[in-house]
Amino acid sequence: MKARKVKGLDPDAPFRENAQKMARVRIDEVWRLGSRSRDPQQKEALHNMRIAAKRLRYLLEITEPCFGRPATKGAKMARGLQDALGEIHDCDVMSERVRARAETVAVDDERYVGLEALATYVEARRRVLHRQFVHFWSDIEQKGVRERLEEDLGAPA
Amino acid sequence: MARAREIPGLGPDIPMREAAALTVQTRTSEVFAFADGVLDTADIERVHDMRVATRRLRAALEVFRPCFPKPEFKAVLRDVKDLADALGARRDPDVALAAVEDIMAHLPPQARAGVDAFEDDLHIEQVAGNATLEQALAHATETQLEARLLELAALARTPLPT
Repeated sequence: MKARKVKGLDPDAPFRENAQKMARVRIDEVWRLGSRSRDPQQKEALHNMRIAAKRLRYLLEITEPCFGRPATKGAKMARGLQDALGEIHDCDVMSERVRARAETVAVDDERYVGLEALATYVEARRRVLHRQFVHFWSDIEQKGVRERLEEDLGAPA
Repeated sequence: MARAREIPGLGPDIPMREAAALTVQTRTSEVFAFADGVLDTADIERVHDMRVATRRLRAALEVFRPCFPKPEFKAVLRDVKDLADALGARRDPDVALAAVEDIMAHLPPQARAGVDAFEDDLHIEQVAGNATLEQALAHATETQLEARLLELAALARTPLPT
């Protein structure tokens, strides 16, 4: 997913002023993907939200000297999202790989033994991880994390 | 995971171009500080630390993109991405193997022949990943990537021609 261009950045302007403009866009990128990512079948939305969370996390880490504790807390939240979505993505990759390998081996072949169990375990784990992610995201939304973060960073939408 | 180093002089009121120079200098030094011993397959954390440092550097380059001259920026970013990909090629099989081993530890040996063969593939990928990383590190040395990054950081301090 390509990052949205941030308009009006000025290299000669203070770091904080530019950081506020960037934060506004990166926060919006994460939140726009939130509702679609509640659907476990929306693999692309989940993947894009992970990338958006990663961008927000790194931006807040880099701009921590501008915003102090709110940036540290925001980066921690974004990292939580990134980790949760990363684990889901890892399960998707692993499941696809194991299933692809199983398809190349006859069911009665010794080399098939265990592959079905491994794929089933990974897919079950993915369902659990997605439920945990939805719970985490709902909590973030209910607590008004976006509004507070934008206010603390001085970057209202 | 190695913590990011503090950047002396970085503050909210300095111009963004100065913040770009300071950040890219520090993050560049971090990446190359992990290069020694990174090909040692017995110490997988070294690869992880260098990968994390490379991600931080890449993120800094992208955040401060408007402060750099385009041609130099594009060439350096491409090489940093290639290095990141090579570190991923080495690290991803490590992670996949650890995950499979963790899951399959609960199965009796006779119920996992297929998984053993799958793990063999991952071991082959691990070796191939190390070769890819070795090439990428050699390329970074040949093309003086560290020096070019530091030069790019210095260029951020000079206003671009309008």
